[in-house]
Amino acid sequence: MKQRALHHFVASLALLMGAGSCMDFNGVDKEINITTHVDDWRDEVIYQILVDRFANGDEGNDYRIDANAPARYHGGDWQGIVDNLDYLETLGVTALWISPVVKNVETDADVDGYHGYWAQDFEATNPHFGDMAALRGLVDAAHARGMKVIIDIVANHVGQAFYYDINMNGSADVLIQGNGIDSPVVHINEYDPDFDARGIQAFTSLGEAGPAPVIFGNDPATNHMPPNPAPFRKVENYNRKGRTIDFEDEDQLLHGDFPGGLKDLDTRRCEVKRTFVDVYARWIELSDADGFRIDTIKHVEYEFWRYFAPHIRRRLAAKGKTNFFMFGEAFDGRDDLVGSFTKTFPPDPSEEACETDGQPITGEQVDGVFYFPQYFQAIRDVFQYAQSTDRIEQLWADRSANYGTQPVPGGIGIPPTEAVVNFLDNHDVARFLYGVQDQPAPVQRALMHNALAFVFTAQGIPCLYYGTEQDFAGGNDPANREDLWTSGYATDGDTFQWIQRLIKIRNSYTALRRGDLSVVWSTSRTGDEEDAGVFAFQRNGGDQANGYVLVVFNTHRSKESHTGFEGNTMSVIAPPGTVLVDVLGPAQQSFTVSADGRIDVTVPASSAMILVPQGDVTSLD
Amino acid sequence: MTAHPHIRRRETEPRAPVHAPAKPPFPLAMVYSRAVRRVARSVIERSVSKPRRPRRAGLTAACTVILSLAILPPDARASPFAIPAVASPPSTSPPAVDPPAADPPAADPPAQDAPDLPTTTTTSPTSSAAEVEALERRLAAVEARLAEVEGEADTLAERPAAPETPAPLRAPGTLDGQAPPNYADGFHFGSYGRVMVAGDGRGRPGRNTDIVAHGSRLDESTYAELELRREDAWESVGAYTRIVATMAMAAPVFHYDANFDAKIAIRNLYLEETGLGLKGLSVWAGSRMYRGDDIYVLDWWPLDNLNTLGGGAAYRFKTGTFVKIHSGINQPQSDFYVQTVTRSPPLEMPGAIPVNILDRQKITNSLKLGHVINVGETGGVKVIAYGETHHMRAGQREVDDNAFEDLPSEFGYVAGGELSLFTGKRSTHLNAWVRYAGGLAAYGDFARPTQPAPDNSTKGARELVVALGGNYEVGPFALMLGSYFRSFRNASPALDYDDIDEGIILLRPQVWIKDIFGLALEGSYQVQQRGALWNPPGEDDLRPLVGTVGKIGVVPFLAIAGRGSYSRPHLRFIYTATMRNDAARAMYATDDVMSLRNVDHFIGFGAEWWFGSTSYFRD
Repeated sequence: MKQRALHHFVASLALLMGAGSCMDFNGVDKEINITTHVDDWRDEVIYQILVDRFANGDEGNDYRIDANAPARYHGGDWQGIVDNLDYLETLGVTALWISPVVKNVETDADVDGYHGYWAQDFEATNPHFGDMAALRGLVDAAHARGMKVIIDIVANHVGQAFYYDINMNGSADVLIQGNGIDSPVVHINEYDPDFDARGIQAFTSLGEAGPAPVIFGNDPATNHMPPNPAPFRKVENYNRKGRTIDFEDEDQLLHGDFPGGLKDLDTRRCEVKRTFVDVYARWIELSDADGFRIDTIKHVEYEFWRYFAPHIRRRLAAKGKTNFFMFGEAFDGRDDLVGSFTKTFPPDPSEEACETDGQPITGEQVDGVFYFPQYFQAIRDVFQYAQSTDRIEQLWADRSANYGTQPVPGGIGIPPTEAVVNFLDNHDVARFLYGVQDQPAPVQRALMHNALAFVFTAQGIPCLYYGTEQDFAGGNDPANREDLWTSGYATDGDTFQWIQRLIKIRNSYTALRRGDLSVVWSTSRTGDEEDAGVFAFQRNGGDQANGYVLVVFNTHRSKESHTGFEGNTMSVIAPPGTVLVDVLGPAQQSFTVSADGRIDVTVPASSAMILVPQGDVTSLD
Repeated sequence: MTAHPHIRRRETEPRAPVHAPAKPPFPLAMVYSRAVRRVARSVIERSVSKPRRPRRAGLTAACTVILSLAILPPDARASPFAIPAVASPPSTSPPAVDPPAADPPAADPPAQDAPDLPTTTTTSPTSSAAEVEALERRLAAVEARLAEVEGEADTLAERPAAPETPAPLRAPGTLDGQAPPNYADGFHFGSYGRVMVAGDGRGRPGRNTDIVAHGSRLDESTYAELELRREDAWESVGAYTRIVATMAMAAPVFHYDANFDAKIAIRNLYLEETGLGLKGLSVWAGSRMYRGDDIYVLDWWPLDNLNTLGGGAAYRFKTGTFVKIHSGINQPQSDFYVQTVTRSPPLEMPGAIPVNILDRQKITNSLKLGHVINVGETGGVKVIAYGETHHMRAGQREVDDNAFEDLPSEFGYVAGGELSLFTGKRSTHLNAWVRYAGGLAAYGDFARPTQPAPDNSTKGARELVVALGGNYEVGPFALMLGSYFRSFRNASPALDYDDIDEGIILLRPQVWIKDIFGLALEGSYQVQQRGALWNPPGEDDLRPLVGTVGKIGVVPFLAIAGRGSYSRPHLRFIYTATMRNDAARAMYATDDVMSLRNVDHFIGFGAEWWFGSTSYFRD
């Protein structure tokens, strides 16, 4: 204490001498009071930012950048986001999902860790993006505008932390074996060898030689350094089985290294569980961010999430932050698998051994998921490839079975069925426009606008990948990670304004955000049938019983369709005689619900209508 | 050697040899005053040890020399065509200057010495009434002092003859290392040097443990400058020429690392003309260490320390006012200035040749205005106003094959000042500086800017320095002071590790015993805050990174040249203990022993000298 008092005295003296030269760390150096900034996550519109590619606000943290190589650092940082909050506010998004913040392996195999998923130090910021004060500055600036910040995290693996010394020569080798005639040419990278259920084995000319030694990197220049914190430097906390080859194999899925040499932690171990809670809760305690997007959730055992999620909630709640949103990402089209991480499964009694705070493990997991099944079955199959819309209805119908239906205790107060995060595309898939590049440009844009309308009206929380508003059309990673600054942050583009309008509509009609959803028309027809490509749902009820919205899509690329087939017209719950007005299209077409509760809506090709009762129509300006 | 036909050799001694310990730079008045004492003392000693010699004759001779020393400026004495009779301004040289050069902290450009421009010490033959009055006052003072000396001599002569005692340990013929230079025709040699033999008591080499940019110099490493100088008086034009070439070398030396190589730099290579066409005017051109007053104990020039290829001029008015201007260029090795790529040769010749895509120089201009106000017989006040401008044109840098980025033009400036109080006796002085630098200049003389502004420029970078340095000597005691506060922000708007607030206070009391042995104690406390946060051990919260270092040092030394804070040479033993807090340890890289130790020791011995070098004397 005496030493600290002395420091304070000296610092005060120095400040007096410096006449205002004090350093402002955005309050990070003081006691931070974290608090809840979210009312209802369904009201939010998430904007996914790949920090390195969004905006470069601080040239001071530019090092080793190569803006011409898509797989290298380009210079974006947190200050760049702060500098462009006007742009985001103009667009209308309300929550910023930023790519991982932790320090990464700098570069590996001539590819950089610009994306953030190669963690090396879970307690340090990625210096390319800024320091803790800069992160805090971003969160504060966002909060000042009513925006929230979601931090991307990884709990499955670390970066290329070590190699398996298969030939026990003490160096990381790339081995090529076989002559291609008598035996296949085999390429073995000691950083990323193929999966072996026994654990990676050492191998010499005389045969196998037992478990391969694990050797942590020690190259500061590329930051192939032993991970931090200390528990992640223990060999026993890794599964050490090599690269996952077969994602259908549960052992490989859960215990294999993620492709690229990303070392899989043994997330069943208590020390690993506790460490992850500590390091990630701390990021929120320091930054006051509002949620986690959790990477590679399906590669981690349920028991980990049963431990991690409740502990995070309790720890943050104790500090004053509730309604903390955690949604997981499983790059998988299987809805039951993806949804399973939102369900409550009873824990194995052995899991209690990890408990330290006396609270029983009750089995709840994350609040929601990144809705990959919908991406595959609706966005890709229907809106990009014009397949039948009945698959969407089926997908949604299964949701109540595949997802948790009750709000998670201590969570966001919304059942996981309503907390799915809907998206058009993201950093792991080719951009929407890339998938329809065979179409004429006007059609491409119409298809995307239609899909966007779907994302912003479907039940859940919409998420927009940065650059979509600028018609970016990159292919698969890393081509889909363009520099946003090349757009000039224009706000007058058609797509920008289309999204702007969709968000305004969503904000204007509560039922679009919080209402229950029921599908009122889908079809298996995709040809020249009268309802080919039509999909319609209505939203009302829930905790917004007074609102009503009917959304009708025509996903057919070339013909108009209507909500009827062979004399059977769509039935809705809106009272007979209700006049519904399309608030999306410029014509503001209106339709009247018939006496028998039916309504026939004709929609042009690749377009949508958002119909609200005439009396509810409000100005969007 | 054949003399150049236009060179006329001086006919008088360039300077009366003074058998006295080397002293720091003084105003001329001080030098003369001291010279009076020295010569008088030598007279007394001679009269005591050799009583048979006619005392009066000796005193008469001494009086002649003393008057010569007291009244005539060195150049006037040295040159047959110098205009005699009028005393030079008594305090045109900085009072408390002349620190030996030293290795600077790594973050700064290599330290080097550039003396203030030489001052013409002759004045107009037509003296003003005020000058005459001043001269009379000084003569009266000299005469009074002579009377004292004579009285002392008489007293001593009346005593019984003392037994023969060993001569004082002073090297006969040793010149005051910081005395004003005499433009003595011919070649001259000067030097600053220090050699350090040190360890940390644990088997490792002794290491500098400062965290601030300018800390204690006790643990600095070996460094030396060797200066070869040619001086000529040109009778035909009434001017003096000085050509200076200074070679500097830094550790490690061959006998340490067995590497038959050396770190060598040319620190001075210039020609200076004094009195050419206009008395009081000097001009120079070449490569030069160009700087003003320093804080010796911090090895630092707080206000002006420029290292350029350039030229300048100085003019000293008879009123005590002086003005110096300078303009120079440099191009430190950095891709901020130069980027070299390979290109195909012209005319489809095979191979590749280097091409400078970026190749820009920094132009630095400086202006110094000063005025010295004499106070009493030897003291005074010096006031300096100082400014610099730094300029660089825009450029382009290749960031990838045939992809370029623009580098905007750069501008920087410095505004500052100095207030110097000096007694003129025994180097007692107190200097205060304030300096503010903006833009490119904030990064220093050899700027290699990092953390630029969003437009890739240095706009927004700034540095504020407030510094205090001094020396006080009384009897066998002395106290040296060095302290400063510095706030630096790079051009990047965000705080980062290179944004710094720092300061130090350092005191070095010294005592001499029998003018041959000295003991210095040094205590310093330095604080540095970086624009970074960290986790103190055992704490969850992030805290500002505020490193503190306390150092104490004990330095017994042999003062071969006698007592005085600035007398050299020294043979010395050095022990320092450095105590650093956790934050200071955190400023070192992982596994650096200084990141692991709370306390470090520095145990060593060595030597330090300076003499006859333009880097250290003042004129």
